[in-house]
Amino acid sequence: MIWNTAGNDNEDSAALDPVASASLDRLFHAYREACPDPDAGANFMPQLWSKIEARENSSNLFGRMAKALVTAAVAASLILGVLLSTVAQSASNYNGTYYNGTYVEALMADHASGLEPLNLDRISELEQQ
Amino acid sequence: MLVEFELIQKAQQGDAAAFSQVVTAYRRRILGTISRLIGRPEDVEDVAQEVFMRLYFSVGQLRTAEVFEPWLYRLTVNACYDYLRKSKRRLESRMADLSDQQVMMADAVAGSKAQLDETERLRVRDTVNGMLSAVSEEDRILLTMKEVEGLSLKELEAVYGVNENALKVRLFRARQRVLKKLKGVTETPPRSAKTYTGE
Repeated sequence: MIWNTAGNDNEDSAALDPVASASLDRLFHAYREACPDPDAGANFMPQLWSKIEARENSSNLFGRMAKALVTAAVAASLILGVLLSTVAQSASNYNGTYYNGTYVEALMADHASGLEPLNLDRISELEQQ
Repeated sequence: MLVEFELIQKAQQGDAAAFSQVVTAYRRRILGTISRLIGRPEDVEDVAQEVFMRLYFSVGQLRTAEVFEPWLYRLTVNACYDYLRKSKRRLESRMADLSDQQVMMADAVAGSKAQLDETERLRVRDTVNGMLSAVSEEDRILLTMKEVEGLSLKELEAVYGVNENALKVRLFRARQRVLKKLKGVTETPPRSAKTYTGE
């Protein structure tokens, strides 16, 4: 009897009444006899295939939409890439200088080291003028 | 197995005729199981079609012949769960709402060994459906699979993916809850003078 192996919480602490349990078994058995396996209707298979095709079509539609989105994303990436390279090219033409070096090299090339420190004597000269 | 595994392999490769043969072989059994699990004859074919549709789209995952039937039962159980949870037309009656006649019928059926005529069959169906609708979908399906469909604990293990001991505990509790409902009704004095003896 598998029913004697239950846990020990409150609900399970009471053993099943064997008489009631046997009656329940008979009731289930009668239910099994009262519910024989039904035959499928004539439209069972056609309906099944139409449902399968409908779901396949909807998943195909989803697949097509996904492919279209991927294509659109690739196209947008290409267009953006071309636009960015065009803008960079035009900016390069505007400045007339294009640096291949590092940031430090760029600073050096900007002649920053050529700037003179603040000279107080000169300011006094300016004030005198 | 009602079909050869080669037929299932053909169905896996997209052979529609092979899949139709698999459906034809199993549909009566699946229809019967569903009818007893959901207790709504008018919706049985819809749920069965859902089961076979799930089978069609997942048959490619199957690797061995041994797991086919437990897997088909699992698809059936899941489809029935979905139906019972979603359906607003689920039987709302509880054992407390069953008529005196139904309660007396439960007594009579429990003790009867005679062949049931069609009227009695209908009453048995109503009685058991009413009784099972008083418990959860999980209890209803588990008890029906074990006690009505006659699946062994090993088969249920494969369907539910839990070990035997856990199943025994679940079955015990489900059975206890059903008996409690049944006993609660039969012990209510105004409902019927006849007490439930199970004889």
